[in-house]
Amino acid sequence: MPRVSREAEVVWEGSSAKGRGAVTAASSAAFAGLPFSEPARIGDPDGQTSPEELVAAAHAACFAMSLAAELTRAKAPPERLTVRAEVVIDEVEGGNHRIVSSSLTARARAAIGQDAFDAAVADADAGCPVSALIRGSATVSVDAALE
Amino acid sequence: MTWSGDLLGGSGTIESVGSGAFGPLPVSWRARAEEPGGNTSPEELIAAAHAACFSMALSGALAKQGNPPDALSTSATVTFVPGTGITKSVLDVEGTVPGLDEAGFREAAEAAKENCPVSQALKGNVELSVTARLTG
Repeated sequence: MPRVSREAEVVWEGSSAKGRGAVTAASSAAFAGLPFSEPARIGDPDGQTSPEELVAAAHAACFAMSLAAELTRAKAPPERLTVRAEVVIDEVEGGNHRIVSSSLTARARAAIGQDAFDAAVADADAGCPVSALIRGSATVSVDAALE
Repeated sequence: MTWSGDLLGGSGTIESVGSGAFGPLPVSWRARAEEPGGNTSPEELIAAAHAACFSMALSGALAKQGNPPDALSTSATVTFVPGTGITKSVLDVEGTVPGLDEAGFREAAEAAKENCPVSQALKGNVELSVTARLTG
């Protein structure tokens, strides 16, 4: 398969505590000029996105696609999947901040037995590129169930 | 995030996010692996997260050393190789920073690339690089 390249752009003004940024999906134009700032990143988001929220959206989308692929491989393409990702950033030793975990919650409507579903979930987590990169330095957990 | 159908023929939607800043955004495998056609993808969202995180870390570091930036313009380009994974994120930043020379700006950009939380999460699995230059 060919390699795929995706680009995003940020314009930032001012110092981090008082400054503000705007982020744009440069490849797809699916979103543009989304505001973000340090106070909204740490405290109440107040309608602003953050790097962690964007990672959460990436992880949920990635896992949903991987799980759809695994369920299809198990002859049970999903009628519907709902996936939620929660990314936590925390202060670590030395006062730096790190992404420490991403917790996935998935609910699936698919004609498949429990054991085969559990196997598909494990394979989806192993095969999702965003899970792989987060797991390099943080915890990934998956709570998946058939509905 | 909701998804219906198989991977190749199905489609999904990032319905909403906690902040309410964006959504619903459609996604599909075809748009992820071929032409986006207006659809975002996990890789574009990682690029957005990385560009935002890096810009904040750089502005914070510049302010701390006494050279708060007037403006930074950053792009992040993420490479995805289906079957292999996310392999690369390339940052490029142009800055207007009163009182700072090119070498100082490049050094600060290099440090922000190493230290921002999204870089920390990508490191190890993903090759990271940054190019930096001053304008104005």
